[in-house]
Amino acid sequence: MQQTKLLSEHYDKPEFQNLDGYKKHGGYAVLAKALKMDPKAIIEEVKASGLRGRGGAGFPTGTKWSFLPANGEPRYLLCNADEGEPGTFKDRLMMERAPHQLIEGMIISAFAIGSKKSYIYIRGEYDYSIACVRKAIDEAYKAGLLGKNILGSGFDHDMDVYAGAGAYICGEETGMISSIEGLKGQPKLKPPFPAVQGYLRKPTIVNNVETLAAVKYIIRDGAAAYRKYGTEKSPGTKLFSVSGNVTKPGNIEVPLGISLKDMIEMCGGLKPGRKLKAVIPGGSSAPVLTADEAMKATMDYECLAQMGSMLGSGAVIIIDDSNSMVDLLDVIMHFYHHESCGQCTPCREGTGWLSKIVHRILKGDGEPKDIDLIKKVSEQMMGKTICALSDAAAMPAISFVTKFRGEFEQHLQKARTTSGGVAHA
Amino acid sequence: MSLVKRPSPAAQWYLPGILAGMWFTLKKMIYNIFNQKKMVTLNYPEEKYEYSPRFKGNHVLTVKKDGSIRCTACMLCATNCPAQCIKITAAEHDDPTVEKYPIAYEIDVLRCVYCGFCEEACPVDAIRMGPEWQTAGLAGSKFTYDIQQLAYRPQLKGGVQSVLDDQERHKKGI
Amino acid sequence: MPKLKINGKDVEVPAGATIIQAYKASGQDICHYCWHPGLSVAGVCRLCMVQVEGIPKLQIACNTEAKDGMVVNNNSEMVKETVKWGLDFHLINHPLDCPICDQAGECGLQDQYMQFGAYDPEMAEQKVKKSKVVDLGPTVVLDSERCILCSRCTRFCDEVTKTSELGIFNRGDHSEIGIVEGKPLNNNYTLNTVDICPVGALTSKDFRFRQRVWYLKEADSICPGCSTGCNVKVHYNEEGLWRVKPRVNPDVNGHWMCDVGRNTYKYVNIKNRLLAGKVGRRDSWMEMSPNDATRTAGMRLKDVVDKHGPESVALVLTGQYTNEEYKDLLVYFVTGLKLKNIFHWVNNPEKLNDFDGLLFRGDRNPNTKGLEAALKLAGSKGRWEDLQAGLNGKKIKAVVVAGPEDQSVYPDMNEKVALFAQADNLVWFTACPSDALNGSGAETWQIPVKTHAEKAGTFTNFQGKEQKFPLATTIVPQALTLSEAAEVLAGKELNWALRPKSLGGAKNNYATTERGAL
Repeated sequence: MQQTKLLSEHYDKPEFQNLDGYKKHGGYAVLAKALKMDPKAIIEEVKASGLRGRGGAGFPTGTKWSFLPANGEPRYLLCNADEGEPGTFKDRLMMERAPHQLIEGMIISAFAIGSKKSYIYIRGEYDYSIACVRKAIDEAYKAGLLGKNILGSGFDHDMDVYAGAGAYICGEETGMISSIEGLKGQPKLKPPFPAVQGYLRKPTIVNNVETLAAVKYIIRDGAAAYRKYGTEKSPGTKLFSVSGNVTKPGNIEVPLGISLKDMIEMCGGLKPGRKLKAVIPGGSSAPVLTADEAMKATMDYECLAQMGSMLGSGAVIIIDDSNSMVDLLDVIMHFYHHESCGQCTPCREGTGWLSKIVHRILKGDGEPKDIDLIKKVSEQMMGKTICALSDAAAMPAISFVTKFRGEFEQHLQKARTTSGGVAHA
Repeated sequence: MSLVKRPSPAAQWYLPGILAGMWFTLKKMIYNIFNQKKMVTLNYPEEKYEYSPRFKGNHVLTVKKDGSIRCTACMLCATNCPAQCIKITAAEHDDPTVEKYPIAYEIDVLRCVYCGFCEEACPVDAIRMGPEWQTAGLAGSKFTYDIQQLAYRPQLKGGVQSVLDDQERHKKGI
Repeated sequence: MPKLKINGKDVEVPAGATIIQAYKASGQDICHYCWHPGLSVAGVCRLCMVQVEGIPKLQIACNTEAKDGMVVNNNSEMVKETVKWGLDFHLINHPLDCPICDQAGECGLQDQYMQFGAYDPEMAEQKVKKSKVVDLGPTVVLDSERCILCSRCTRFCDEVTKTSELGIFNRGDHSEIGIVEGKPLNNNYTLNTVDICPVGALTSKDFRFRQRVWYLKEADSICPGCSTGCNVKVHYNEEGLWRVKPRVNPDVNGHWMCDVGRNTYKYVNIKNRLLAGKVGRRDSWMEMSPNDATRTAGMRLKDVVDKHGPESVALVLTGQYTNEEYKDLLVYFVTGLKLKNIFHWVNNPEKLNDFDGLLFRGDRNPNTKGLEAALKLAGSKGRWEDLQAGLNGKKIKAVVVAGPEDQSVYPDMNEKVALFAQADNLVWFTACPSDALNGSGAETWQIPVKTHAEKAGTFTNFQGKEQKFPLATTIVPQALTLSEAAEVLAGKELNWALRPKSLGGAKNNYATTERGAL
């Protein structure tokens, strides 16, 4: 199978990184078209396209925009480029290879929602991405694509890059807003939602890099053309970051709805002699799929939700039989323990507790009741906190111990036989 | 109304009773001289009775490994004491892991009913009821036991060590 | 006004109120730590979970607006289980050093665990170790291990005092409350953070380790520290007063009080008090009971009035006594002795109208307004210059002074004693001994009086609001109130049987005798 390249069409051309090269491939023509449109028509077009947020939650973008109060200045557009989800690396590539594509999409979106100021929040570790985007913004300012009276339309817009300091939680929209405001990067209590009271308590829209870039293509080709890709409820193409035990890991762009099996094939399949054990379809926070489930899965929001997992940010992690699930869960739990912001008690204490239990099992000090305890603790962390980090830690924990219970039990048994202890039932 | 019962005239003649008593005493004395091992009495204070180790005698304040007092001055013993005979003055300790300790701990043993509630209330095994029970003294002040007396009296030979060790608990993360 | 049903009970709350406020209004229990009525909503403890009909997920009551027709409960199994686990999460890294902790006995964790938790803990991992006994400033000590990070204290510093000394440092379960180096928690409201701390993480240096709270009784009172008249509770036992805490009154002090006001309990305690009446002059004093001292003083005053007329006696009052006492004293002096020389001693006239913007006022008398009203009623037109002239001209032969209860707020004490001692006779009602008085050259009666905690009465605060307060405890039973003193001055006998007695004796354990089992 071939990739369907829409966003990633020119990734391989070095000239696409700067303004002249970008313009050669039709860059900023869509912006000129959009600026002549009615902003409401743009929102309607995005709504009609059925574009869903590519950052993880999959919330319909047009609907999100329409939550903004009808009047109320100023309002802000924030681009979420704090790509923190383990396994995801799609936004980095876009910012490095096609920064203008993002900027164009952002100006169009800002025009649609009537925002005069936008920020791109890039995670601190992405040094090179920050440099690329900063350079592209400078070029755009010089070419009159940003600033006052863009392309003679009378629309003013300023754009800035804000470098994060590498906290996972700043990828959550309200956490990101806190961080840009100069506060500690901690999610804010909702309601009020950012669309009503966000950055500096003003209406704010937060969108992922890929979402904003896709807006450009929706305006260029029209909603109907965009809907040709993908499925009825999950239209469009999506960038997937495939990693793990495949021969050719990397970024691929495919229409939503292709089967996971095909995707693995596209990435060169598994290494010879290895057997598929599990797949994490949407970044480390998504519940894991067993090999059987993975073979049946199609990569769209609905099918994965039905299977009890989620598409998330499109980080597909392929796990073959050379890996221990206990080891893997230990790494994931350590990550969430380290990244919990410490605001809500169930998450602050629960992530640490889970991490300690899993680590104990891994070390060989586990007890049979620990597996159920992991499940109980995780269940109590689900949906009990301000943001979804607690759920993000609990979901993999629950799915790992339910779907691979045997492996965890084996680990307990091994521990007991190697340490010479006696099983206490 | 109480009735006074006078002894009968026959019983007022005491001599037979006295003689019977003296005869009994003489009999026992002769018996004991020849069977000293079977004697039920002790030659106190040269001989002393062995009580069970759980005997609730005089209070002991336990010490830590380094010899300092185990008590954290939580006042639970004083709170629980039915005789209200325990008086504690707490103070801030220089070591933040210890934090609180008693600078004065006094038990008025003349008020004490030796019920052992203090021992039961103690969350850190700091107070125990020891095996000693001889508390004779000449001055009233001798019956207010202070820390020196409760933890370091010579009979304890340097103090009784508590089973609960804070350092170990901290290391274990409890 | 939305009407909603809470656990089957109909409640009406003001528009915009949250569900937790509806719970409080309906008098039903709900578990919570981070929510405080005087602070913004943080929503971080996640314990005030409620089930709202029509919403599948549990909601936090503190951030959900009460709407008309809502049906809410927190007694379903799902909520109970969640709250239980919520408490478990709070406690897994809590050191459980209750025996050492000063909060034990009034601790939110202890109380709410017993009410909503009571589970078997399954935590078997190492607890997170954090710093203990951290010095935050001159008044407060922090124990990070006990802290449950409810952020009440940081919100208090951000929102109420707006000084922002406290912040949460680090992330996840390593989060700790702390201060920025070189910026200690040092303002006039620091001890409120100790009050609102639901656990023993913040403790007051002044109260730390001095009493277990179950040995203390509490009584309502009014703070005598300044003219704001904050509503307070005094905590006391047989040994005296131990601390002062604010009592909620939205009209006067809201939920807070200042640190200066919290120190007002100190001069009330027996070691700082004048216990017996003292009659004499510089270096030769005779002690007698307050009653006898007052009686002899009354006889002397009558003599002076008989000999030199009522103009020869002056009455000087300070704003530290209750309205009732002013009334009784003035009745005796104005109608009994026909006195016209009545004066108001203002301690710091230049600072009288100072205000720090929150609670603390420059007028350090609790009842200046009450005294002014009483003087007006008595028709007093006494000007300070007249008093001075009268004393200098030896026209005034006797001065009666209702001296300050708290002498530390009267910086002109020495000066005024020297001034009044120009008269031949000086009758001085005082709660505490004073070096200045002991050096008085006139024939002086030092008569011990009761402090605000030892009498019932009314203070009128700066707003003109009359606030009644009851008798809390009796520390110096032989001391007189001014009302009693007025009677004794008039030659009447006090009813000794009815006078309040000292608590005395060994201290009682109120937790077990009154509140039930520990």
